[in-house]
Amino acid sequence: MNDATEIGKRLGRRFPEGIECAPHSPRRLYARVDPRLLLDVARWLLEQIPGLRLATSTGIDLRDGVDVLHHFAVNGSPLVITIKALAAKPGPRLPSLAALTPAADWIEREISELLGVAFDGHPDPRRLLKARTLGDQVLPLRRDFDPRTIKETTGEPPAR
Amino acid sequence: MAHVIRIGPYHPLQEEPASFLLTVEGERVIDIDVQLGYIHKGLERLAEQRTYDMVPLLLERICGICSATHSINFCHAVEDILGLAVPPRARYIRTIVGELERIHSHLLWVGLAGHFIGYETVFMWAWKYREPVLDMYEQLTGHRQNSALPQVGGVRRDLPEQAFPEVRRTLDALDGQVEMLTGAVLDDPVLAARLSGVGVLTAEQALAYGVVGPTARASGLATDVRADEPYAAYPELDWKVITRSEGDVFAKAVVRLLELKESIGLVRQAMEKLPPGPINAGPLHVPRGEGIGRYEAPRGEDVHYVRSNGTNMPERVKVRAPSYVNIPSFRASCIGQTISDVTLTLAACDPCYSCTERMAVVRDAGGGSEITFSDLVRLGREKTLRIARELGRKPDLDLEIG
Repeated sequence: MNDATEIGKRLGRRFPEGIECAPHSPRRLYARVDPRLLLDVARWLLEQIPGLRLATSTGIDLRDGVDVLHHFAVNGSPLVITIKALAAKPGPRLPSLAALTPAADWIEREISELLGVAFDGHPDPRRLLKARTLGDQVLPLRRDFDPRTIKETTGEPPAR
Repeated sequence: MAHVIRIGPYHPLQEEPASFLLTVEGERVIDIDVQLGYIHKGLERLAEQRTYDMVPLLLERICGICSATHSINFCHAVEDILGLAVPPRARYIRTIVGELERIHSHLLWVGLAGHFIGYETVFMWAWKYREPVLDMYEQLTGHRQNSALPQVGGVRRDLPEQAFPEVRRTLDALDGQVEMLTGAVLDDPVLAARLSGVGVLTAEQALAYGVVGPTARASGLATDVRADEPYAAYPELDWKVITRSEGDVFAKAVVRLLELKESIGLVRQAMEKLPPGPINAGPLHVPRGEGIGRYEAPRGEDVHYVRSNGTNMPERVKVRAPSYVNIPSFRASCIGQTISDVTLTLAACDPCYSCTERMAVVRDAGGGSEITFSDLVRLGREKTLRIARELGRKPDLDLEIG
């Protein structure tokens, strides 16, 4: 059951369209998911695989959008399932997983602050990590970010 | 009528930067909020500007306690891209370094926990016993905390086997001390009364928040990367995963204390069985790809994601330290508790605010004069020359400069 190829096959059967599975090794599964299916796929995984938890997520700035990778680990198993969804530019947005699992709360806020992805349906989208003196448009993990511009950005009022 | 009490932005007891906002009604906490980012250093971005050989040295500086954690785990992620097997001797060396780190980290927490409840005797004991662990770390790696050992494919340097007898003696002494400390803490009726039933995190909550390490194991989840995804020498050594089902602060203390004993055993066994052979799988080219590394840090599972693009620098390095998932579980374990219990619960997951920022002034033990930066450069050059002379090599150093 807890084998990347097996889970990949089951995912493919459950979601015949909009998902592309690539088992990297028996321990690692990568699945590219249509953003519209993201919530359904995450919910299905959390229901189907006992001990599954969201370990973390990664945001990567690409030319066409921000690639968001949700890494799910399984307690008691070496398996890590990564679901990738591209938040297309301009105005990248994705559905939020925070309503499904509180583990997504912080990391989605972080990705939204550092890479400018809006997470629809996030219950608590306040500032978490980025300095309160930096404006919402300052996105430090974007490729076009120039650290020299930081000093010229004047503060906005603290988030709270 | 609700009030907000702010603990931080500089935690008065942990002496680390984090800000907790407790919304209270009378004595009872009804909501909790955490503000972070006081020491966000942009290391993920920096790591994209370093070569694969340099990144472990950079990531080692994320945290002053689990330094080898992040550097070894970055190696795990890159080795996952490459599908590379690490030589046995390097796996054992990584185990020794990792377990020594776990011992000193757990002792640090036990001491701090005593300090938090005003039980200074436990604090003094635990920190006294922690000191020889750092000495062992220095004897084996050359530094009390940053070993600079991990390298993609293995380790950079071998361990000095001539130091092993001394380290074994220190471990023997430590074993007795830890046993005494464990017994004293577990048998103490005052500690049991103060810590039992405080800040309970149930197994369901632990899974939903995705907590890891001793925080999860004290709630009955048998999750330990060393067993789940065996790496280094763990599958070849004799040890067990410690779990407790209560989920309270006392259970977290018990888990850490019992893990100390396991870790001491692991260091002993790894030194005993240390196999001969190469310590590094050799020079590498990292092709385009992506990899995920997992490592059981003292505080729990550490996750690194690395995406490579075929050059000698990674395209993206994502670091998720265990405290990042353990701290949000405060919402589940603290709400409804009294203020005095909450401060204790906040400490119980051993939150590490990603690093400790410190400046060291090196003092000459004899004269008391400070060593300047140019002195350090001179000492470094002298050492390089001496090593080159001993190896009968031409020094790899441009002596004309400076």
